[in-house]
Amino acid sequence: MAMGMAVDTVGELGFPYWNPLRRRFPPDSPFFASGNVERELLAKQVALDFTEDEINNLQIIVETESRRISCPIVGCPERLKSLDNFEDHYKARHTASCSVCSRVYPTSRLLSIHISEAHDSFFQAKVARGYDMYECLVEGCGLKFKNYKARHRHLVDKHKFPTTFEFFKRTQLSKKRREKLQKQRVPKLKHEEDKEEASSDAMEVEDKASLDGLVSALSTLTTSDTTPSNVSFGRRHGRGLTFVPRSVHREKPTNSSSTPGPKT
Amino acid sequence: MADVGSASNRRDPIKSSVGNVAGQRRRQQAVTVAKERRESLVRAKRLCRVGTNGGDDEDARVENEMMIDEEQPVLESQTVKAVEELKSAVQSQGKGAMQKRVTALRELRRLLSKSEFPPIDAALTAGAIPLLVQCLSFGSPDEQLLESAWCLTNIAAGKPEETKALLPALPLLVAHLGEKSSAPVAEQCAWAIGNVAGEGEELRNVLLSQGALPPLARMIFPDKGSTVRTAAWALSNLIKGPESKAAAQLVRVDGIVDAILRHLKKTDEEIATEIAWIVVYLSALSDIATSMLLKGGILQLLVERLATSNSLQLLIPVLRSLGNFVSVDPKAMLTILVGGQNTEDTDIPDQISENVTNVLAKCLRSEHRVLKKEAAWVLSNIAAGSIEHKRMIHSSEAMPLLLRLLSTSPFDIKKEVAYVLGNLCVESAEGGDARPRIIQEHLVSIVSGGCLRGFIDLVRSPDIEAARLGLQFIELVLRGMPNGEGSKLVEGEDGIDAMERFQFHENEELRVMANSLVDKYFGEDYGINE
Repeated sequence: MAMGMAVDTVGELGFPYWNPLRRRFPPDSPFFASGNVERELLAKQVALDFTEDEINNLQIIVETESRRISCPIVGCPERLKSLDNFEDHYKARHTASCSVCSRVYPTSRLLSIHISEAHDSFFQAKVARGYDMYECLVEGCGLKFKNYKARHRHLVDKHKFPTTFEFFKRTQLSKKRREKLQKQRVPKLKHEEDKEEASSDAMEVEDKASLDGLVSALSTLTTSDTTPSNVSFGRRHGRGLTFVPRSVHREKPTNSSSTPGPKT
Repeated sequence: MADVGSASNRRDPIKSSVGNVAGQRRRQQAVTVAKERRESLVRAKRLCRVGTNGGDDEDARVENEMMIDEEQPVLESQTVKAVEELKSAVQSQGKGAMQKRVTALRELRRLLSKSEFPPIDAALTAGAIPLLVQCLSFGSPDEQLLESAWCLTNIAAGKPEETKALLPALPLLVAHLGEKSSAPVAEQCAWAIGNVAGEGEELRNVLLSQGALPPLARMIFPDKGSTVRTAAWALSNLIKGPESKAAAQLVRVDGIVDAILRHLKKTDEEIATEIAWIVVYLSALSDIATSMLLKGGILQLLVERLATSNSLQLLIPVLRSLGNFVSVDPKAMLTILVGGQNTEDTDIPDQISENVTNVLAKCLRSEHRVLKKEAAWVLSNIAAGSIEHKRMIHSSEAMPLLLRLLSTSPFDIKKEVAYVLGNLCVESAEGGDARPRIIQEHLVSIVSGGCLRGFIDLVRSPDIEAARLGLQFIELVLRGMPNGEGSKLVEGEDGIDAMERFQFHENEELRVMANSLVDKYFGEDYGINE
């Protein structure tokens, strides 16, 4: 909408007569500037004054301190201060966790992506056959990729994720465990070892061809080691209780010709 | 930002002297805001002084002591130390590592929450960001996530380059908005994201491409809670544009329009305020949203809020939304009228037309400059409608207010009022070279209400747009007043003098306008037939 006066109503005098027109302003127009300022001015004042209100609330805080609810899930140390908080906590901690490796995710979707990529042999089978299985993490994007690295590239290029972002973090093993794994891997998976060193944090399965390749690929999956990573320390519930540790599986490698099923 | 359950009028009785001085200082700054764009950018962000767990914090007492600015160098060295602590805590493993991390995070967070000018730069230089990002990993305990997000929130509340430093953390912050995150964690992440989005268009685009909008939108579905409020605020920052793609994406979220209407109808004023800002941007940037909201009956809701609320914070965005709808969509204009005439349509209450002018009059009566100015703008757009619209305003209680405001109000309000009055006197031309017809009844009544002086003052103003308005109105008076009274009236208010000042004015258009009026109506024949 133009300004109140339109040039096209110029009459014989060349005079631009008053013509009523609706005037519209975009949201960032200087017309709205003073109103915008009021918004944030008042908001910042609230931030300042709030700490004084805290003084008044101290009594309430002290009272509620003692009335805490302990989470009943075995191994969970949380003590919540109200039923609402407990419900929040339960929803967050005990419902979106991976039953295999106990990693916890903030959405069901991410959890399910994790499970497919880390624990599902059918997923890996399809990957090995060349299907695009690695989904983009951004909801609504819909694209899929042949491997973890390609998906990562897409996240960086298209969705501006930082290059250091890692969806799947390898758990950090203790020195003892690392040495143990090294000894196990050397005789069987020499070619895989090189690859491992090259991509220390990523999980890649490049081998496409045979069942052998599939099996050896499966055994490079280290997702469900019992040793928790630094940052999820304390967040794995019942480790060693709810599933059989990976190390036990490793004792019976390619000898068994039965197809490895999904891990417990 | 205020925390759970705090009402905005709690602010008034309790104000520290320090807070008052700081508040006054900032008010003075606000006067020059138009020139200081960077200042206004900083204001789009909100420092978090008490976290979203609100009241959970044992050291609230300690925080209260820190109202005075600390010595900046001391604060900075403490910050560097805190980051070092955090670094070692992040690297450590084994028992107690988690507690160590939370303690280190908490210390850093305290340092970033206390003073007027948090030591953000010191924290960044010491390498805080990568550590904070690590602390956001999936599966980390809630306390850790919360403290980390809190630190990031306050870092993002600083200068532009400080906000940009949050880039590596964004995907994780977005992820923790998920439905499985605990509410305080999700809220704190939303807060941080809100600060980042408030920084500028570039960062908004990054957030959008990382998929921040859908989870944030879903956070406003519940009926109440501080999480809804924070998420709505962050969402409004995310869609403010000026590009329209975010607004378009938001309206495609299933159920969002219903949620917005529901909140506008029932929710407490604090949440409604943030929702109203979302409506402001939707109505300005998305035609689809505009028509969906109108169909959902938003005009009635806006009018009701304007009628019942006295909170400036709420009134501003509600009024502006109304203005946007009216300026953009002809259906909105129709709704305003139809209510008064169509008794069969039970969806639109009969009284809406009357109520619209009543609430706008209420805004004109307000002591707040913004409300007066924007209410006049809305009225000017309604007055640009059909004859019925003009009659509606002319016979309303807004008229005497407008006439008074034309003489007494500050310049920017005066200009808007001028638009209203002029629009009331002229029929909207449908195109062609036809000279728009004057509505004599209105012109006579308005002139006899004493507005001519105000318009002639506008002619004298240095603002080109205002001067133009003044000259155009004078032309209406000269042409439209019965019995040629116009000329006498204009002369009586020193109008000839005002116009003659343009004789050698540098602006050609104004010069021509003024001269042509003087020539036509005050030429050699003037006064001869007295």
